Amino acid sequence: MSKATEVDIALGILDHQLVDSEGHNCGNVDELEVRGLDGDAPEVVEILVGGNAWRSRGLLGRLAASLSGNAVHVPWSEVDSVTSVVTLKRTAEELGLNRGDKRWARLIGKLPGS
Amino acid sequence: MKRIFDIALGILAAIGGFVDIGDIVFNVAAGAIFGYQLLWVVVIGVGAIITYSEMCGRVAVVSGRAVMDVVRERLGFGAGLVALIAGQLVNLMTLAAEIGGIALALQLLSGLPYRVLLVLGVLALGVVIWVLRFEWIERVFGYVGLTMLVFAVAAIKLRPEWNEVASGFVPGVPSSNLAVYAFFAVGLIGAATVPYEVYFYSSGAIEERWTPKDLGTNKANAIIGYTLGGFLSFALMIMAGALFFPLGISPEALGTVALGAEVPLGQIGLLLALVGVLFAVSGAAIDTVFSGAYNMAQFFGWEWGKYRKPVDAPRFTLGWIVMLVLGFVIVVTGVDPIQVTEFSVIFSVVALPLTYIPILLVANDRTYMGANVNGKLANVLGFLYFLIILAIALAAIPLMLLTNGGQG
Repeated sequence: MSKATEVDIALGILDHQLVDSEGHNCGNVDELEVRGLDGDAPEVVEILVGGNAWRSRGLLGRLAASLSGNAVHVPWSEVDSVTSVVTLKRTAEELGLNRGDKRWARLIGKLPGS
Repeated sequence: MKRIFDIALGILAAIGGFVDIGDIVFNVAAGAIFGYQLLWVVVIGVGAIITYSEMCGRVAVVSGRAVMDVVRERLGFGAGLVALIAGQLVNLMTLAAEIGGIALALQLLSGLPYRVLLVLGVLALGVVIWVLRFEWIERVFGYVGLTMLVFAVAAIKLRPEWNEVASGFVPGVPSSNLAVYAFFAVGLIGAATVPYEVYFYSSGAIEERWTPKDLGTNKANAIIGYTLGGFLSFALMIMAGALFFPLGISPEALGTVALGAEVPLGQIGLLLALVGVLFAVSGAAIDTVFSGAYNMAQFFGWEWGKYRKPVDAPRFTLGWIVMLVLGFVIVVTGVDPIQVTEFSVIFSVVALPLTYIPILLVANDRTYMGANVNGKLANVLGFLYFLIILAIALAAIPLMLLTNGGQG
């Protein structure tokens, strides 16, 4: 992140909307990878999006995770800012996000007037 | 001047958009069974929907987050998923009821077979959603739905005892038939506050690109629009109280409801009533279809919005198409749409607290809302209505079982 601000990661980041550098929604912050929790300087290293990122999110999360593929890992260094959304520095495509939209766009794109 | 015009348009759309099959069924049945005694309950329901629509509209305008987004943020994945599933089941049941209502109204207008009209109705909805812009969808159905005001004229023409009508606005409980009375009270509040209204309202604020300078419009739409929508509910109940209650008729069919306009106003009354019902119910069907797609997209963080090209929000587009197909599949099995309506309204009450609490929390969060956090009035009303909703959510299913769905 560009500037130092104090954010409650459970309330202010987890489960928030991800937006890419072009303003497109590209998933939710489904899980955070935190390193150094036993030391004095724990830090968030990755955002996990989709798929088995849900497995740590309770019973229903485990169920949902077992039905979906691998999570996308976004390094924290890709985060541009945190407001009511988490904005990323690059496009969804560059970060491997929004693959589902891409897949379905091929089908929807065949409809007239789409 | 243009601004006043815009506000007026929004309000008109809100009136037409408020009344759906659930309101029609519950207000008319309540009037037929209890006369004007339950009018005061509608006031509570309308108060709740005004309070929470204004709140979720304000949250959407200020933070850009619609209801299911906020639900996910505040409840987390697990509890949020429960809220999502509950909301989607209720959306689907409501949609099925509205689609059934469309086919029933078309049948009364045309005399064609019900199942044929189900297919035509759903196809027409699909085409309308695909072709029309968001603003036009909202307006066309809102405005034409206003022909339901014919029920207000009918209610007056039926010469109700106005002092009895007035006493219906005073809260009270009857000496007998208490459980059925309570069941209808729950149903009336449920019908006024169906969850799709806040899903749709908050997402609509983003669809229409409202900015903080539209906060006044938000307030006006919620307060005036829903108050006048509540006025339509009163009209339905008073009409039923004046016509069906003295005769001891409990209208089981939509045709009987339309009779309420035909008796005092003749053929033209019947026609206006059916057209009004058709458009109000179709508008509500579209709102629920969209709500289903909004909820999925917001929960999982996908691109969404009717303002985008379908191909630019493909999972949202797929979402509403799937909703429409599932809604059709439910009604085409031959379930009675009026029965589905009763179920959908009662279950919607149960799902409501999980939808309302995150709205109340976020509307109080300064990091989100800045200077636009809830004031004292919004909080007092928000908390009060939340308690009422919670109480009736707990009572809803026991009352439904106890009274055999209001049959006594």
